[in-house]
Amino acid sequence: MGLVESGKLPKPLTSLLNTSRKYSIWIFQWGLACCAIEMGAALGSPRYDVMRLGVIPLPASPRQADLVCISGTVTDKMVPAIRRLYDQMPDPKYVISMGSCANCGGPYWDSYSVTKGVDQIIPVDVYVPGCPPRPEALLEGIVLLQERIGKEDMAARWKGDPIVVS
Amino acid sequence: MIPLSSPETTEAPEAEAPATDEAREELVAALTTELGDAVVGSHIRTGDDVWVRVTRDAWREAGLVARDHLGFRYFEFLSALDWLPSPFGKNEDSPTDPPPTPSTDIVTGYAGGDTRFQVFARLHSFSQKLGLTLKVDIPDDDLRIDTWLPVFAGVNWHEREVLEMFGITFTGHPHLVKLYLPGEFEGYPLRKDFPLLARHVKPWPGIVDVEPMPAGDEPAEPDATDASDAAEGGDA
Amino acid sequence: MAAITERQKLAYANAQAADGRVNLEFETDEGMTLNMGPQHPATHGTLRIVLKLDGEQVISCEPVMGYMHRGYEKLTEVRTYPQVTTLVNRIDWLGSFANEVPFILAAEKLMDIEAPPRAQWIRTLLFEMSRIANISLFVGDMALHIGAMTAAFYAFRDREYVLNQIESATGGRFHPNFDRIGGLKDDLPKGWIVDTKASMERIRDFCDEMETLVEGNEIFQARTRGVGVIPADVAMAYGLSGANLRASGVDWDLRRDQPVGLAWNEVDWHVWTHPDGDSFSRFWVRLQEIRESTKIIDQLLDGLPSGAIMAKVPRIIKVPEGEAWVATENPLGEMGYYVVSKGDLGPFRVKIRTASFNNVAVVPWVTRGVYVPDVVTILASLYFILGDIDR
Repeated sequence: MGLVESGKLPKPLTSLLNTSRKYSIWIFQWGLACCAIEMGAALGSPRYDVMRLGVIPLPASPRQADLVCISGTVTDKMVPAIRRLYDQMPDPKYVISMGSCANCGGPYWDSYSVTKGVDQIIPVDVYVPGCPPRPEALLEGIVLLQERIGKEDMAARWKGDPIVVS
Repeated sequence: MIPLSSPETTEAPEAEAPATDEAREELVAALTTELGDAVVGSHIRTGDDVWVRVTRDAWREAGLVARDHLGFRYFEFLSALDWLPSPFGKNEDSPTDPPPTPSTDIVTGYAGGDTRFQVFARLHSFSQKLGLTLKVDIPDDDLRIDTWLPVFAGVNWHEREVLEMFGITFTGHPHLVKLYLPGEFEGYPLRKDFPLLARHVKPWPGIVDVEPMPAGDEPAEPDATDASDAAEGGDA
Repeated sequence: MAAITERQKLAYANAQAADGRVNLEFETDEGMTLNMGPQHPATHGTLRIVLKLDGEQVISCEPVMGYMHRGYEKLTEVRTYPQVTTLVNRIDWLGSFANEVPFILAAEKLMDIEAPPRAQWIRTLLFEMSRIANISLFVGDMALHIGAMTAAFYAFRDREYVLNQIESATGGRFHPNFDRIGGLKDDLPKGWIVDTKASMERIRDFCDEMETLVEGNEIFQARTRGVGVIPADVAMAYGLSGANLRASGVDWDLRRDQPVGLAWNEVDWHVWTHPDGDSFSRFWVRLQEIRESTKIIDQLLDGLPSGAIMAKVPRIIKVPEGEAWVATENPLGEMGYYVVSKGDLGPFRVKIRTASFNNVAVVPWVTRGVYVPDVVTILASLYFILGDIDR
């Protein structure tokens, strides 16, 4: 642990750790709107079967999760809860923003009660576009995230200052 | 090969229309006899629907009469209307042109009205298979009305919604607090003078609806089936 | 032992504070307060329920809504009629096509036009298919809340067959946006009828499977029978609709009793009711509804008329002045639009009457005095969708 934080981890060990991390992602399902059903189809249905990618969709709480998938419309009333969830997750943590609403507000771009993009409150790693995206699109997003985790410098992720989004 | 079903479908409602219209006229008459002068307006669209406007004092009475004497035991919804034309237009105009000066004339809908705000509710009668829309004027300087909670229990959240969206208070409601929006939200969103700020910051880019209509400009003949229709017929 | 960095300390403090805020669960003189949601598996998304408990019994229950409030009624006022169609798809996101139909019908009523018969029949077809897509997920979901996960997987599996057919006809798995004022966007593709019939066979098999797997299960019956009883007069005063109303013994189905021009009256089907009004009867009625839907679809496919799919409508749609109310029997219950038009490109005011809003209003009444685990089954059996409550 100390090696990781001080950034003195040997390179082969880093890639080994990264490989094991990327194939054991515990994903927390923060289903909000329409996209939640497509996320459910991607994570829970036998047709798409996300577990073959090494993603485990059943953490009991955000404290056990590595990745959260924000799927659906984020309203201003929901924002504190999402921020809270993100605070509860252990580092290193990743965020997928699924669907146009979570990306930028989507069809509710002019609404008085919708937050125009979840990236206003938490840092997002992967944006999955669509309204709603097909389950395949979410799987693609997860695969892209795994690629990114594989190439990551762990020390930077571990030690780096929190990304502040105000 | 496949019969066109249009003759039956179009004829059936037309045959019924006069009968149901009588029922609606009877309904308005019954309401008038029960409520007297409190019925200040009504409108009947033949074979379709009926609107009745009552005075504010008789609002709860009207609900009770409809429920107990006229058989309207099913509560559909309660909401409000703001008849002020939107001061911001519909944001459908060109973003470069100056905005058109909106009129401030208040033109109310069916069954008339004298005020900017109206509360309206819709009830249904299973036995008569009729719907009834009740309307009531709410004066601008006194936005309050009796609650309907003693009439229909389900009205609870609808009244809270109206309070939040229009700022109309329901006297006698025991728990009249906001329903949807977070506590610090200011304003009444469904009032016409509530601006959607995102639209003012960035004009709507899709002003022109460019999608061509499927039927095109030529009138579609009922018997002009294309290839896919024929294939469908073969499949069936 | 590695030193704890400043960032880890911060994260720890943050997490502790967050825990303190999120699970509001404390004892008072009046009993314990338990907070479910806004993100809780039993609330299908983002409904929050604050329960006051006396031991294991619920004293009072207060649903807190608005976590999915997107301001539909305001947004419809700044959109044109075709744009509103796109928007209203997303109210009840499981039965999207069914959301479009009443709005389009209301606009057609104001414009005094009628879609050609073929369009009406295809509308009815897609309407019923979205009902199957919606309710089949309910069946799996209800079992999931009782504790049986298998049924949810089966539901997701078999639902795909219907979604495939919706997609091949409309281009959208979820939000077809296929309805137009005066008709439909397109005709059905080739071979669709045969494929749909095959998928209906699948759905009937799914119903049989669910009957043996879930409905016949002793544990399921013990958890649902006699739980959450809603009498008919309470159901009507709260404005419950759809299967929730029929499960209380009220024989009322807008498809049969208040036809709005679609093709339900052309085919032979049955409205099922159940006298009990408990969680089990709501499940049972919905399961029968899927069967009836497959029957309706099969008959509609056999008798599909030929002809145009679009009436003659102007290129720029301006709806004449007036007010219209159209309600249809959507998968969740009665959904209606009260459209006020002022002769513009877009509606002046649209009041959206959604089924779940009224259905959930009964929750404080029906959960009074029940035990905490039953709250979950009652919520599951009432079957709401958050977008349909909050709009």
